[in-house]
Amino acid sequence: MWMMAKKFLIPLWGLVFLLLLSDVSCQYRTKNTHSHSLSERVSQLTEMSMKRPLLKFNTAKFKEFVKATPRNYSVIVMFTAMAPQRQCQICRHANEEFTIVANSYRYANLHSNKLFFALVDFDEGSEVFQMMRLNTAPVYMHFPSKGKPKPADTMDIQRIGFSAEAITKWIIERTDIQFRVFRPPSYSGTVAIIMLMILIAAFLYLKRNNLDFLYNKTIWGLGGLLFTLTMISGQMWNHIRSPPFIYKSPNGNVAYIHGSSQGQFVFETYIVMILNGAVVLGMILMTEAASRKGDVKKRRIFTIMGLILVGIFFSLLLSIFRNKAQGYPYRLVNDFF
Amino acid sequence: MQPSTTKTQAGAPAQTAGKKVLFPDKKVPAKQVKSSGLTNIAGLNSLIIFTVLLLAWISGFASRLFAVIRFESIIHEFDPWFNYRATAYMVEHGFYNFLNWFDERAWYPLGRIVGGTVYPGLMLTSGSIHYILHSLNIPVHIRDICVFLAPVFSGLTAISTYFLTKELWSSGAGLFAACFIAIVPGYISRSVAGSYDNEGIAIFALQITYYLWVKSVKTGSILWATLTALSYFYMVSAWGGYVFIINLIPLHVFALLVMNRFSVRLFTAYTVFYILGLLFSMQIPFVGFQPIRTSEHMAAGGVFCLMFLIGGLKYLRTFMTKAEMKYFGGIVIGITLVFLTVLIGLTYAGFVAPWSGRFYSLWDTGYAKIHIPIIASVSEHQPTTWFSFFFDLHILVTTFPVGLWYCIKHINDERVFVVLYAISAVYFAGVMVRLMLTLTPVVCMLAGIAFSGLLELYLKEEDREESGTNAVEEESDGEQERSPGRALYDKAGKLRRMKHEKPKGNGDGLGANVRNAVVIFVLMLLMMFTVHCTWVTSNAYSSPSIVLASYSNEGGRAILDDFREAYYWLSQNTHTDARVMSWWDYGYQIAGMANRTTLVDNNTWNNSHIALVGKAMSSNESAAYEIMTSLDVDYVLVIFGGMIGYSGDDINKFLWMVRIAEGEHPQDIRESDYFTERGEFRVDSEASPTLLNSLMYKLSYYRFGEVKMDYRSPTGFDRTRNAEIGNKNFQLTYLEEAYTTEHWLVRVYRVKKPNEFNRPRIPITKRTISRQTSSYISRKTSRKKKGYIKGRPTVVKGQKPQKRASS
Repeated sequence: MWMMAKKFLIPLWGLVFLLLLSDVSCQYRTKNTHSHSLSERVSQLTEMSMKRPLLKFNTAKFKEFVKATPRNYSVIVMFTAMAPQRQCQICRHANEEFTIVANSYRYANLHSNKLFFALVDFDEGSEVFQMMRLNTAPVYMHFPSKGKPKPADTMDIQRIGFSAEAITKWIIERTDIQFRVFRPPSYSGTVAIIMLMILIAAFLYLKRNNLDFLYNKTIWGLGGLLFTLTMISGQMWNHIRSPPFIYKSPNGNVAYIHGSSQGQFVFETYIVMILNGAVVLGMILMTEAASRKGDVKKRRIFTIMGLILVGIFFSLLLSIFRNKAQGYPYRLVNDFF
Repeated sequence: MQPSTTKTQAGAPAQTAGKKVLFPDKKVPAKQVKSSGLTNIAGLNSLIIFTVLLLAWISGFASRLFAVIRFESIIHEFDPWFNYRATAYMVEHGFYNFLNWFDERAWYPLGRIVGGTVYPGLMLTSGSIHYILHSLNIPVHIRDICVFLAPVFSGLTAISTYFLTKELWSSGAGLFAACFIAIVPGYISRSVAGSYDNEGIAIFALQITYYLWVKSVKTGSILWATLTALSYFYMVSAWGGYVFIINLIPLHVFALLVMNRFSVRLFTAYTVFYILGLLFSMQIPFVGFQPIRTSEHMAAGGVFCLMFLIGGLKYLRTFMTKAEMKYFGGIVIGITLVFLTVLIGLTYAGFVAPWSGRFYSLWDTGYAKIHIPIIASVSEHQPTTWFSFFFDLHILVTTFPVGLWYCIKHINDERVFVVLYAISAVYFAGVMVRLMLTLTPVVCMLAGIAFSGLLELYLKEEDREESGTNAVEEESDGEQERSPGRALYDKAGKLRRMKHEKPKGNGDGLGANVRNAVVIFVLMLLMMFTVHCTWVTSNAYSSPSIVLASYSNEGGRAILDDFREAYYWLSQNTHTDARVMSWWDYGYQIAGMANRTTLVDNNTWNNSHIALVGKAMSSNESAAYEIMTSLDVDYVLVIFGGMIGYSGDDINKFLWMVRIAEGEHPQDIRESDYFTERGEFRVDSEASPTLLNSLMYKLSYYRFGEVKMDYRSPTGFDRTRNAEIGNKNFQLTYLEEAYTTEHWLVRVYRVKKPNEFNRPRIPITKRTISRQTSSYISRKTSRKKKGYIKGRPTVVKGQKPQKRASS
């Protein structure tokens, strides 16, 4: 700006002196606010980040601190849309993770001026989004201390996710600044368990005169059954791998069953759980019908019901299994009935 | 499925034979009830039990022989090779030398103290079998003992499972359980002939320990408790999974205490077992002081103390009034709290080691993935899909909850144990595929209980109604066998009893048709189970994995013996002290078959050493050369499957090498460098340049660009990844190809010595200095080196323009 003003000024200087004077002073002021010298900017940033590790930028600040050159510091910017009307569910989650990263960096390197963390909200800096040609959120970008951001300076959320650990790893990769994630220990799980314990204890205390239900084997039996059925239907796999609920292919087909034996969908495991449960129920019905004494007709019906339950649901289970295991030769219904 | 139909048939009759005998055994309890006074019936019972167990053993043994029949009597996979090598060493040098064995051929240059880092039970077992056979003048090679050890022990497992189930439920359920465990794929997967591994004997030790424990809880005798401790000692010597026992038994005791089922029997059994078991387990060098110094073992100690507290209180109660006893409740809680704080304090002070990563990852399921990539990289440590459960257990997985239900419904001291066993094992199996093995025995037991409960009911009344005409043939066989012995008086007695019972049975009920339908249906399910087991065993678990077989469309079979070819080449053509670098998967095999020094192997005790090898594999050639010279590497061995489409090769494992290397050397290796811009891992021309220049890539694809497999595909077409490779014509500077096997599966390279790859000597006359020719000639002279920008206005900062204007 100063340069341009200069070029413009030179042919005019002899003519309009006063005007020129005022004009120049104006230029000076804009320079003061818009582009501080490097050291000033760094000290400002450091000061701001001492107060809040995660800086909130609007368009002007973004231009001043991130776009301005030269820089001798890196900035990690998260472009996000936190306003409720944007309905970005993961933005909130991403923001939490990003704050953890920013905090743990600040915690480790208290007076560092090499790396700053910033956040640009769509509703405060939509120009920035236009400038960066972004139409999704959240996006993490690294603005290196030298040169322009390369493609790899945009974090690939699809691939590595946005957990604090992943972000940290990516930052370390891009900036060579070492630090570790310090997650504030999550007490929510512990608190929940303690609350549950207290509730149970309170419940037992209130019912202390009538503790017979603790000796109710049916409750314990049902609990045991539920737990085993949960486990054998692969819920633990779901918990660790977090697969999609069902798979929607681009052309609109919906797959409920994962095609290979290596994976599974959440919905599929529910189906399997129900099938397993039905077979178990059928077996118990048959056994009970034969061991109980009483109305013959009823028992006969129970037996047949149990038989049908086991037969149908086991062959269903087998057919799902066959779908997943290529080349599995056996089936229940066609071969035997 | 197609492979060699004759073998499938060979396995099948044995299976069905084992199953056929299942049918009479549901009658066993019925008969027991009916005629317990008749001694020859008891004899018949034991004959049937004996026959069933024998047949279970035989069919279990037979169905584990697929690999031996199809290939040869050979040790499988990876870990078994180390076990075999250690056993051979022990047989050759004696037990004490084995305990002191320092293996300088592994983990070069660190070496490995084998005696102190191994569970010696397996080697001792096969070594003593070898010793006994040789003292009987039966010359069996130690390799054959090692190959057939696991199938033989599967029979023993079946027998101990029978006894355990018999203690828990009934003899009929026991026979079912024994037959199930003999052929269930979940157990076969670890005990086929040739898979000479700890698990093969450990499951037997596990089951026998549990049997003895249940027995000692039932009897409360010191003898049984001592036997339990002894068998626990055997388990500790055999497998690291003994931790499961030392946590499950205290859990059982604790549950019994909570359920107010304290008894002197329990007190005797547990205290004797704990003390003796603790002392015994510390005799194993590898375990050492762990039982008193690690958190995994602390629960047992805590329960031991609790036992004394409660025992003391119970004793006090005998001569104190109720009012006096009130004070002790507070005392108990106080003491418990003190113990806990002391334990936590000791853990923080470092006297008691906290949970080790492998065990911790069982609870916090996301732990290993983040912190220990080497654990997460092993395919056995992945969580289990429902598919694997069904694949390994078939009908049993859907029926064992029924057994669990009835065990809870008819609970007693020992059934508490089996319930806890089932619940904990099913949890662990869900977290890790590998622990399916500990789930399998309890699933067999509970499914046995379910099936025997069902069939017992449906066959018993049948028997009562129409004793002669049976639906199932085998039954009438048994009937006929029995009848001549007691032809005269038995009939009368039986008839009389029927008259007594008929009115009692409330018109009995269900009718022959319904009964027969149920029985036939259940038998059909069981038959499906046997067929499934045979199929799974034959197709999934019977590959030695060091000899591969491929089948042509006509059913012909080709054997790919590349691994042994390469290892044999190494053993014949390299110096005895040559050091071979490979990824850790192949360490044991190189040591066992080629007898050469390795850098890393399957005993993954030193992560940083593995990371160093991973770094060498994932760096470029010159950087790798520095690492390799610092480690004195002479040969590099890589597995390459692109020629024949073998998917378990090193390129497919490559990302784990990168990840493990990155864990230790984040400055030099970055995982993202090995992906394309779009985050894909590919080997064709779009691959990232870092990958294309990595040592592993070059060693795998060296000269592969010249190969044209068929007319349709281009040269250098990788059949595993279905891609034309991206870096075809390159030369190796620091290594040279030493040997490539027939199907290119194994490629061995020799690391050149520094004087070999340096420039060859050129006579002085021929030496010319070549310069880079370039059209650009700089106009700068030495005087004016500084660049300038044309027409750039020179601005003096801080000077006011009007000043300049005036001047």
